[in-house]
Amino acid sequence: MSSVTEKLKEAIRIGSEKDAREMAEKFVEQGGDPLAAISEVTVLMQEIGDKFSRFEIFLPEVILAADAVKEALAVLTAKIPEEKKREIRRGKVVIGTVFGDIHDIGKNLVATMLQVAGFEVVDLGADVPSGRFVDEAEKVKADIIAMSSLITPSMIYQKDVIDQLQDMGVRSRYRIMVGGAPVTPQWAERISADGWGKYAEDAVEVAKILMEGSREVSGLVARGAPGE
Amino acid sequence: MSETKFLEVLDKAHTGPVCKVKDWEARIVPLEIKRILKEHGLTGVCAPENPVNTDDGLVDDFWEAGFELALSTGMLCLATERIIKFTEEELKEALRNRPSRLTLGSGSDRVVIEPRKPEDKKPPITTMTPLGITFSEDLIIPVCQAIAQYRVVDIVISPCLLTFHGRICRGGTPYETLWGKYEGLLVREATRRAGRPGMPAWGVESSPTEYGYLGGYGAPGSFDPSWAIAIALLPSPLKTDYSLLHKVAHAINWGAPIESGHWTMIGGYEGPPEGAAVGALAAHVLQCAVMQPTVIQSDILDVRYFGNCGREAIWANSITVQARSMKTNTLPFGVTSQVSGPCTDMLLYETACISVAEVSSGICMVMGTRPTGCRFPDYASGLENRFCAEVVKASAGLRRGEACELVKALLPRYEDRLRRPPKGLSFPQCTDLKTLQPTPEWQAIYEKVWKELENLGLQKPWK
Repeated sequence: MSSVTEKLKEAIRIGSEKDAREMAEKFVEQGGDPLAAISEVTVLMQEIGDKFSRFEIFLPEVILAADAVKEALAVLTAKIPEEKKREIRRGKVVIGTVFGDIHDIGKNLVATMLQVAGFEVVDLGADVPSGRFVDEAEKVKADIIAMSSLITPSMIYQKDVIDQLQDMGVRSRYRIMVGGAPVTPQWAERISADGWGKYAEDAVEVAKILMEGSREVSGLVARGAPGE
Repeated sequence: MSETKFLEVLDKAHTGPVCKVKDWEARIVPLEIKRILKEHGLTGVCAPENPVNTDDGLVDDFWEAGFELALSTGMLCLATERIIKFTEEELKEALRNRPSRLTLGSGSDRVVIEPRKPEDKKPPITTMTPLGITFSEDLIIPVCQAIAQYRVVDIVISPCLLTFHGRICRGGTPYETLWGKYEGLLVREATRRAGRPGMPAWGVESSPTEYGYLGGYGAPGSFDPSWAIAIALLPSPLKTDYSLLHKVAHAINWGAPIESGHWTMIGGYEGPPEGAAVGALAAHVLQCAVMQPTVIQSDILDVRYFGNCGREAIWANSITVQARSMKTNTLPFGVTSQVSGPCTDMLLYETACISVAEVSSGICMVMGTRPTGCRFPDYASGLENRFCAEVVKASAGLRRGEACELVKALLPRYEDRLRRPPKGLSFPQCTDLKTLQPTPEWQAIYEKVWKELENLGLQKPWK
């Protein structure tokens, strides 16, 4: 069993989605405990995240590893009883760059780091119309909506999404995170967002806090820029 | 500029190999960069302890590697999900056909932009601006005027509008189509008030999509080819889209000089500093083939702090500027991208380091500045732009080794603060809005840092 686990981890390290799925399938076929495998994968992804922060590996390797993990987790979690699934669940995040903004590297960094941290991520891409954030979040029953904006004339669309959720009477279903170069904690507070992070790793910390606090968190959770 | 050539590019965008963006970003480009770095022996050659490159052999190797990447990958068109590929001859022809001289503006403010080589004594052109920073509508003219009042500044660019006739700026809407023209009118008024009506500019800066640009460039009284370069920026290196290609088409229709540009990220899709350098050089070549630009930006940021004033970013930018200036006769320019705010000495140290490195490496024009990494509205002023322009002019003729020693002396004064930089003060907080002069506090910081630079051997061009 340990050799299958090792092969699964190697598949994730090299970013092979196909091998990761196959090894995960083999693992459960052989009667392995999916929770144990998920635990090992979680530790591995933390190591991969740490390597990225030390620049021992770079964004493409992390993206591929995160994709391979997604494949493996789809197999492993299917074998876990529902009550256990709830215990290990980090949360589901719908993420995208808002309308009128085609920049995506910051958003991709955050999406990847959230995946690395065990969140389920639905990436809508860049230049996403406000209504699509809402539709997708409702469709996939997201916990968090995360919006990036690198340019000021598009920041207003972060507010539009929140207003739309408010007007539909579904705002309380979601935690809203915002970020991007010109997006400040003050702006996040002004538009009634729930979370803001300066760097990608800050965003992950904020997402964890928002999920831990469930629906009871009040006020903005901000990380990464004391005094701003 | 050739409409025929551009039509060929559009045709390629519809007939090239199909490719999904994720494959492009996570597999095709990174793997190709890794292969090329290995084959050219460039893995691990970054020398952060000597942040300004002085090795011409390394410049040759990087240029060859960058050209090879351009040839092997081409550029992805996001709108069609197809790769725009070129033959070797097409790429070489595109480089050869780029103009090597641009005249802009009129009267005593007319400027001529020409190529420079490393250690060239000819001073670069200075384009100064609160680049990409959002400004309150009522402060746009004052801040542009505060920059244009300094004769050491050759060209000015508007910051981005926060509001338009009091309305929140919403990108991609008809508001944007209208404010494109408005930006041009504001810049013209600012240069007139500064007593420099013939001063050139760039536009449309507040144009997140093509709408502001189509509405503003060529509109009566606003930007036109006699005084303004048309801005057209790639969404990211080695990728293009229809929004950008609309801008190019519009510039061709107007016979406008085009700025092409992008940021390659250390730590991003291109990987380490060496990979970012190869990626940026490939992007320089491909921009020439896809967009027929007049002036070309191909800069490198560090994803850890989103600026270009740390060691690795300065090194990577120095080597790419050297390659772009030595190996082509194009008009490459560089952007200074800082993370600290106005009224801090760190902003001036950052500005000095990247400027000195790029000027000694042969850049023909420097564009600055971006205090706080464009994070805070109104956080820019005239003085850091004056300082940047002065350092740029003063660095002409500096040998790369001298520039390297200067940068090495300055970096320890701020590099540990790159990820948690001081915010500083906003334009109204560090400027007397009646006289547009810096506050005594800001002026004292400026004088202190200039004195430090003079002690390190850099002479202020005029007192």
